[in-house]
Amino acid sequence: MKAFKTMFLTELKLNIRDMNDLLFGVGFAVVLTLILGIVVGNKPAFAGADYSFMEQSFGALTSIGIAATGMMGLPIAVADYRHNKILKQLRVTPVSPALLLFVQFVVNFCMAILSLFMVYATSALLFGYRMPGSVFRFMLAYLLVLLSIYSIGMLIASVSPNMQTVNLLCCVVYFPMLLLSGATLPYEVMPALMQKASDFLPLTQGIKLLKGTSLGIPLDNIMLPVMVMIVLSVICIWLSVRFFRWE
Amino acid sequence: MENVLVVEGLSKAFGQVQAVDDLHFAVGKGEVFGLLGHNGAGKSTSIECILGVQKAQRGMVRVLGMNPLTDRKQLFEKVGVQFQETNYQAKITVEEICMLRHSLYRHPADWEELLKAFGLAGMRKQTVSKLSGGERQRLSVVLALIPDPELVFLDELTTGLDPKARRDVWKYLDKLKERGLTILLTSHYMDEVEALCDRICILKKGRTVVLDTVAGVIEQSPHNHLEEAYLWYSGEEETANESL
Repeated sequence: MKAFKTMFLTELKLNIRDMNDLLFGVGFAVVLTLILGIVVGNKPAFAGADYSFMEQSFGALTSIGIAATGMMGLPIAVADYRHNKILKQLRVTPVSPALLLFVQFVVNFCMAILSLFMVYATSALLFGYRMPGSVFRFMLAYLLVLLSIYSIGMLIASVSPNMQTVNLLCCVVYFPMLLLSGATLPYEVMPALMQKASDFLPLTQGIKLLKGTSLGIPLDNIMLPVMVMIVLSVICIWLSVRFFRWE
Repeated sequence: MENVLVVEGLSKAFGQVQAVDDLHFAVGKGEVFGLLGHNGAGKSTSIECILGVQKAQRGMVRVLGMNPLTDRKQLFEKVGVQFQETNYQAKITVEEICMLRHSLYRHPADWEELLKAFGLAGMRKQTVSKLSGGERQRLSVVLALIPDPELVFLDELTTGLDPKARRDVWKYLDKLKERGLTILLTSHYMDEVEALCDRICILKKGRTVVLDTVAGVIEQSPHNHLEEAYLWYSGEEETANESL
């Protein structure tokens, strides 16, 4: 417990000093919330919709924190530890390397939660946002999406032989997902063909789930995303453990 | 004398290259044992195989009576390790890395005392990456001593240190030795080896050329000084002559 606490606090400080999670996970999400709120905020999502554009986008905005910490922060931190032989150093101490990975997971999780909180605070305080759906269900969905995106990040970290590959894979996975999944550019304004392509991205399914729960849309529309997320998490976590390397 | 470290028939090859070839030795409690040889002779690979960081192809290793591959967690409570190259988390400070390592052990040493003893007390808030080479080297020795170990591995412990700092490190290790600390070290400095080591083992292409007390090693060679004896054993003299 002492080891976890000290490692967690140290790694949290290092993560904040590093600025990546803060800039891409928290800062970017808040800026996007501001822009959206100012431009289209409280207009209805579409003609005749009974929820506003802001309400519709809230789920997508919270997914930015998940994507940035899970597909950039987490894999790059783990790969960096392997690359810089910090894992090797820890192998000759009594600590289990699994604890170190778990600490990274929790640290990035905290940054994602900070991003969620900041997006909520911004939209609630400045644009009067209130969640129409159940907060409990939304949080369940949020944790599921987080787990599945983090599992992709862990897989990237596990299978990459070096830092360059991790950076490349993160960019290849992260940026298209950020742009095409509806996290930044709203899914609803995409042409039908683009929407079809976008449906294959796990984050698109995740955002549908977040959107559905935050808007309180009946569950039958979101059973498919739930299944996709769960299957994806199981496969990626299994693969990342299976192919993990310390050096 | 009770053996703290036993190595029997340790062998490791990388493809065609035999990095460690049938290494045998035992180190008793409170002894300082030097593993010598020029770069590529197999010192670091031997240490990494002993610690279980690399997998040996053959051989038996007992550290504090335990198997490093299966009793890792228990064993490393009381074994400190300084690898030849130490890397640190980017932007971590001296104080943070010390506290971090300190938190991993059940009965660690006082890290603030250690920093003081190694002249790093004023560097607590410094980022490790901004330290000078010598300061970083001393920090890596401090970190190896944080477990309050019974046995410590020091791979090139004073490389990059100025003469004064080297002597301070020797003095401190001597003090720990009196309290029963066992040390396995590698070094390229023969004055250091003479000052610290009870027995030495000289490796050449992974094979043991000689294993004896410092005096014994000199005696068995045609030379009167350790440095010349070392060069004679490790074969550097021949190559030096050939290239002339």
